Amino acid sequence: MDAVVVCDLTFRYWPDGPDVLNRISFQATPGEIVAVTGLSGCGKSTLCLCLNGIIPHSRGGEMSGLVLVNGKDTREHRVASLALEVGLVFQDPDTQLFSPTVEDEIAFAPENLCLPPGRIRERVNQAVTLLGIEAFRNANPNRLSGGEQHLVALAAVLALDPPVLVLDEVISGLDTGGRKMVADTLETLRCQGKTIIVVEHDLESVAFADRMLVLDNGAISRLDRAEAILADRDWLATRRLIF
Amino acid sequence: MAFLELNQVTYTYRQCGRPAVAGIDLAFDRGGITAVIGPNGSGKTTLTKLMVGILRPDAGEIRLENRPLRSYSLAGIGRRIGYVFQNPNQQLFCNTAAEEIGFGLQCLGWEQEVIGERVAFYLDYFQLASYRDVFPLHLSRGERQRLAIAAVLANEPSFLVMDEPTAGLDAYRKRLLSDYLQKVVSLGRGVVFVSHDADFVRRVATRVIGLESGRIREDSGGDRGHAA
Repeated sequence: MDAVVVCDLTFRYWPDGPDVLNRISFQATPGEIVAVTGLSGCGKSTLCLCLNGIIPHSRGGEMSGLVLVNGKDTREHRVASLALEVGLVFQDPDTQLFSPTVEDEIAFAPENLCLPPGRIRERVNQAVTLLGIEAFRNANPNRLSGGEQHLVALAAVLALDPPVLVLDEVISGLDTGGRKMVADTLETLRCQGKTIIVVEHDLESVAFADRMLVLDNGAISRLDRAEAILADRDWLATRRLIF
Repeated sequence: MAFLELNQVTYTYRQCGRPAVAGIDLAFDRGGITAVIGPNGSGKTTLTKLMVGILRPDAGEIRLENRPLRSYSLAGIGRRIGYVFQNPNQQLFCNTAAEEIGFGLQCLGWEQEVIGERVAFYLDYFQLASYRDVFPLHLSRGERQRLAIAAVLANEPSFLVMDEPTAGLDAYRKRLLSDYLQKVVSLGRGVVFVSHDADFVRRVATRVIGLESGRIREDSGGDRGHAA
């Protein structure tokens, strides 16, 4: 079964507004990394919100088409239920960090699942180790740099162990060491069979992706192997996707 | 005399064990584009906030146009140095994109006609004209980033400090920003920006300052860090 199925997805925020997503269709399989890119305002973040049910449940607007995550129709399951299937790291990490310490932040979701304390500790330790954030385990997330906050938000999402991960512009805000750490982590997660959707403007930072989905004004401009798209410099230049 | 000078500046956040920045000696002249680079948590954003008076140093001194920075009000600093936050949401508060860009000029008492012209120019330059009457928080992250930059640039400050200005920008808009910053500098203004974008730094910066663990690790600007 495909982990993510998007079929003819169309969305607009206001009744008289433009279609921010226009008949998007694609699938993603377990153990696959799909990079999503495109000019600013093309609908990348909106697509992310559709993948975990924030659209249509928490944001208004008009949605048509289908989004299935591990067989669950996002229109028919609550966001809390979908959060067990899809972990989303937001573009602005401070919108999802609220605990007094990094450790509390990472433990929050497993605690809410009523996991035994031993399991919670295990998940927190695993996430902290995987992302190399032991040094600020006891720090207040609000006192961390933007890049560090992104790592904490990712750790908090990983603690739920969702089969699908969606990262909205996480990598480009990191330093070289952080990018390598996240890329290595995503490779490990891919080998574990997770499905990963990564949104980025910086195409080289997602060169490790299997496929790349390029959006243009809400529609799919190209969906192909990442390697093929990155090698097609003329095409990227005409789409103004490279500097 | 440097436009902006930092002498042995140190700052520690409350409840943190070590200084976020320590012993910083830097001087910036008008003209030139300086990039501040370094690992996450190295003190880059803290440095920019000290430079524009949002934070006050625990030790050392900062001087702006040869006067202590602490002798200026934030508004006084803002008239001389434009600051673009890392997160554009922190500086967008008007009802429309056009109002956002014109806000500073309104406060300074500029004529409506001139404000209108300048707003139109910046909306057009940053490709936001079609969002003129849109509520800023309804824009995408990259569009909000462009709007925040446009709103600061519209006041035409002598000096610009920008924290990760390319975050959320696509390649085309990075080129527009690069072109604009070079234009700004050719008019005798100075720019300092923080960035992880090595390609953008390479293309645009005339001086590079590297921070690590709150200290200066490298400065291509020479002794006391005067701009090249």
